[in-house]
Amino acid sequence: MTPSQAQGPRFSPLSVVALAAWVALLVVLSVWMGQQAYRWLPVQASTAAPLVDGLFSFETAVGTFVFGGVVSVMAWVLLMHRADKYDESDAEPIEGNTRLEVIWTAIPLVLVMAIAVYAMRVNTTLGMLGPMEHIHLRSPVEDAGGYPGDRLPAEQVEVIARQWSWEFRYPGADVAATELHLAVNQPVTFRLVSDDVLHGIYIPAFRVKQDVIPGRAIDFNLTPTREGRYRLRDSQFSGTWFAANQADVVVESAADHQAWLQAAARQPLQSGISDASREFAQRGQSTKAGWATVPPAPPPQVNVPGSNTLPHDG
Amino acid sequence: MTTAYPTPTPAPEGHHAEGHESHNLTGFIIFLCSESVIFLAFFSGYALLKTSALDWLPPGVDGLEWQMPLINSIVLVSSSGTIYLAERAMAKGSLWGFRAFWLLTMALGAYFLYGQAVEWSSLKFGFTSGTFGGTFYLLTGFHGLHVATGVFLMTLMLIKSFIPGNYKGGEQGVQATSLFWHFVDVIWIILFLLIYVWQRS
Amino acid sequence: MTLATFPASEPKPSWTRYFTFNTDAKVIGIQYIVLAFFFFLVGGLLAMIIRGELITPEADLVDRTVYNGIYTMHGTVMLFLFVFPVLNGLNNLLIPTMIGAPDMAFPRLNAVAFWLVPIFGVLLMSSFFVPGGPAYSGWWSYPPVSIQNPLGHLVSGQGLWLTAVALSGVSSIMGAVNFVTTIIRMRAPGMGWFRMPVFCWTALAAQSLQLIGLPSLTGGAIMLLMDLVAGTSFYDPAGGGDPVLYQHFFWFYSHPAVYVIILPVFGIFSELFPVYSRKPLFGYVYVAVASFIIVGLGLVVWVHHMFPSGVPEWMRNLFMFTTMLIAVPTGVKVFAWLGTLWRGKIRLTTPMLFCLGGLFNFVFAGVTGIMLATVPIDIHVSNTYFVVGHFHYVIYGAAVLGIFAAIYHWFPKFTGRMPYEGLGKVHFLLTFVGANLNFLPMHPLGLMGMPRRVSSYDPEFTFWNVIASLGAFLLGVSVIPFLLNMVSSWVRGPRATHNPWNAIGLEWLLPSPPAEDNFGEHVPVVLSRPYGYGSGEPLVEHQAEIEAALIQAEQLESAR
Ligand code: HEA
Ligand code: HEA
Ligand code: CUA
Ligand SMILES: [Cu+2]
Repeated sequence: MTPSQAQGPRFSPLSVVALAAWVALLVVLSVWMGQQAYRWLPVQASTAAPLVDGLFSFETAVGTFVFGGVVSVMAWVLLMHRADKYDESDAEPIEGNTRLEVIWTAIPLVLVMAIAVYAMRVNTTLGMLGPMEHIHLRSPVEDAGGYPGDRLPAEQVEVIARQWSWEFRYPGADVAATELHLAVNQPVTFRLVSDDVLHGIYIPAFRVKQDVIPGRAIDFNLTPTREGRYRLRDSQFSGTWFAANQADVVVESAADHQAWLQAAARQPLQSGISDASREFAQRGQSTKAGWATVPPAPPPQVNVPGSNTLPHDG
Repeated sequence: MTTAYPTPTPAPEGHHAEGHESHNLTGFIIFLCSESVIFLAFFSGYALLKTSALDWLPPGVDGLEWQMPLINSIVLVSSSGTIYLAERAMAKGSLWGFRAFWLLTMALGAYFLYGQAVEWSSLKFGFTSGTFGGTFYLLTGFHGLHVATGVFLMTLMLIKSFIPGNYKGGEQGVQATSLFWHFVDVIWIILFLLIYVWQRS
Repeated sequence: MTLATFPASEPKPSWTRYFTFNTDAKVIGIQYIVLAFFFFLVGGLLAMIIRGELITPEADLVDRTVYNGIYTMHGTVMLFLFVFPVLNGLNNLLIPTMIGAPDMAFPRLNAVAFWLVPIFGVLLMSSFFVPGGPAYSGWWSYPPVSIQNPLGHLVSGQGLWLTAVALSGVSSIMGAVNFVTTIIRMRAPGMGWFRMPVFCWTALAAQSLQLIGLPSLTGGAIMLLMDLVAGTSFYDPAGGGDPVLYQHFFWFYSHPAVYVIILPVFGIFSELFPVYSRKPLFGYVYVAVASFIIVGLGLVVWVHHMFPSGVPEWMRNLFMFTTMLIAVPTGVKVFAWLGTLWRGKIRLTTPMLFCLGGLFNFVFAGVTGIMLATVPIDIHVSNTYFVVGHFHYVIYGAAVLGIFAAIYHWFPKFTGRMPYEGLGKVHFLLTFVGANLNFLPMHPLGLMGMPRRVSSYDPEFTFWNVIASLGAFLLGVSVIPFLLNMVSSWVRGPRATHNPWNAIGLEWLLPSPPAEDNFGEHVPVVLSRPYGYGSGEPLVEHQAEIEAALIQAEQLESAR
């Protein structure tokens, strides 16, 4: 059978104008949505945040356009091309159109490749800023010749994730805490370790996340840019008290940070924050027992427990 | 012409008589393709664990002895040849020739299993001796299970060959078993290269 | 010159055959679907508990251990006991009838594959009752959490879970071998590849993915089971193992698994849009072939589930590119459906409503999928509710809606009864509104930083969680009109003719319900492409006579 060639809908000048106006409206809507996108995200508190948010805003705009376009066609068809109530007949049999197929293969291809290239460049920039680096246990960065000279000497913090508590150690100042303190605008290098299961370090305001993998030490850099109190959450399911495995992050001025470190070093060691241990102890007395769980690790011994209940930003 | 349901060609008789038989072989080939992925998964797991291990070999173990496994490999590879001869004999209509080579193949397969068992019992490490022990026994064990299955299938086919008239005009079961046997053989060659030949990290 | 008589006077087979080891693909298909919907209710009940817990920030409704078990079982039941079985049910009903085969290539293997489902279903359900409770480490079962085995018993929830998943893999492989063989070898005379309905194309594509992907999951699961019960250390860093290795095995299958789910749904859309727009499928060849491009790409994107897991930078970039490329063949399909609707004569029947709603949700989910594929964005939203929102939009919003569409559309064919339109439309409305109310709020939650798999959360997340829970309860209500409709129309719905929707396809040239061996020996010769709406060309040789005979048989039937 001969495929009936698509007639190529003949548009009157008026409908061309209307179509152009509609597309323009969609573009405006998309750009507006792209701007709105920033409001759905937490405050930007690290050098990575503006880059990630810019990318997200861009994709929200592109996505709005794609989704809006498809929905417009669906709405149009529903309004204009409904069969009459007793119309049992078929529509005009248009089987396809090769030119259209080429166009709508090419446009998404170009769009997603543009997104991917943009994202790769953001990746590269982020890589230079530091936040997405990981290093195997056997080749710590110092052995590999240390950090490139163009980077500021970073403060080193050892982050120990446990079932279910966070411990932050400042080897330079000989301080341990269950609240993370960072100096604003100063790069910091975390060394992430876990002795039990997978965890993930996730600070939404910083837009960073990295799994903590037992058996490896992962080095991970970032630079906070805004003073305030933020949340650090476990982001890789780690068992019963996963949800409660949270800590606070305090970003303060360099002077305050030094003062905090010095004050902390003078504090005696005490039990740090561990919601899991507390709940586990209560659970022992309650009759409403759930299913089996491994017991929480004992709370880490730290100089400063800090808090994880104070109000936080974003 | 007012036939409601015109009879299609080929006639349904013929379609069903040989149609289903050839479905069997198609289905079996599809299954083997799928089966090969599980070996691929184990092989890549072995390679990944080996290349990233700190201490690959368990303490007190310094490599695998490869001479006996090599003999075993030669036995298994030659059994691929004998099973081919068995099929050839069947194609020529010589049922006894088929049975002889088939039995020889079974014997070679059984010898391979025996050799494997001897090797296992002489090893100084177990299933739980680190990732090396784990992957070694997993790979050889899973392959050995396939060899045993192959020998079992061959036994079935051999028994069936004594049912009168059963093997007239070739038999799909024989073809499928032979295909399976070649598959098991190829897997072993890769396994041998991976475990016994590639010992230095 | 015999006029084939239709089995209108055949004794009505007893309903008890649905509880037997029956080898008729149509019986097996219905067995699969009914069993799957039973488990849909189970999985849905668990979801209701999840949403009940999450309506407040504190972990108050159930214990934290119970929450973890429940979300794990929700995901597992929904995927392995609901979606895969229900799709296999549709495959069983539709593949043989659409290609004119009397049955599947291996009817007994088919029945075995089905009966494994209740077996591992019971196994999985029994894990609720073993000491220590069911598996609790998520449907990914990432080690080392999954091998912690708190009670140390040999029989643990996790062990049962792994056994059930392995059995499910065996059953799916059996099914896949069967479906692929049937499609390759048993098509009606004249039905070349490019005369095959798109549903069969997508089923073939999806089942090929099963064959390639499942063994990797099975292999990975065997090793995990060994770690759990035999003391090996494949994934246990304490013994030199690598937990990330498991993640590769798992996602090498479980990413393709999402296309195993969506491809047949693409097939359903491609079948139904032409019927209810009264137009041929736009660009049939492109739509059909795009399925296999999706298969190819779908096999090389799995690392997008592991971006924050510690994979090297080059891998992240590479897998970002491959993932984004999937938008292209998928777009080809989406635009083809729009082209089919364009200037059609749209009929808003229940199945059509479900298709349109499904397409709407699908494109939304596709857009969030592209966002997730973008490495820096995924780093922020991975393992948050943004991901949960994304995949419920595809799985519930698109796939389950598509499955409902298929059920309403083919219900008359396989039960011989018409479903009620009114109830169907109520069902659609509740489902569509409920799903969007339920799953849209998950996106802002994820962007704000709410992790998934949590039994408690910070108070700033309360607002959107309450909305989501209300949407979920609406979805809970939505099953009532559906179940009512299915049961009452099956029992006493109006009799269905052989082709109530005036659709084109071999299955519509069979009586409703078809005889046990479908066309039997009278398989018609296919003359043209499917979806010849408006062209006036016959699909098969002697089409007019066949239809006349069907109508005659129906008149005889109703005269009695
Ligand atoms: C049926 C199921 C299904 C389908 C079809 C998809 C489709 C897609 N998914 Fe989704 N996904 C899941 C089910 C599904 N997903 C599940 C279950 C998970 C989580 C599992 C878990 O963690 O438990 C998940 C998780 C998931 C992740 C991991 C997130 C994380 O954990 O951090 C990612 C990342 O890349 C992703 C991406 C995509 C992409 C790019 C598509 C694409 O295929 C979408 C392509 C479609 C479109 C893009 C729309 C149509 C196209 C056009 C209209 C053309 C024009 C478009 C553009 C130019 C953009 N998905
Ligand atoms: C096919 C797949 C599928 C389907 C259909 C659904 C359907 C639903 N899912 Fe989900 N879900 C998953 C697959 C699916 N899900 C997966 C894979 C996960 C990830 C698990 C993991 O992280 O490991 C997940 C996780 C998941 C979460 C996140 C849990 C967490 O991370 O902590 C949530 C939270 O809201 C959720 C909710 C829902 C809801 C409200 C529905 C609703 O659509 C359900 C609607 C329900 C009904 C319509 C039935 C109602 C039944 C009754 C009212 C009772 C009657 C019962 C009897 C008589 C027995 N699901
Ligand atoms: Cu009988 Cu194919
Ligand atoms: Cu994926």
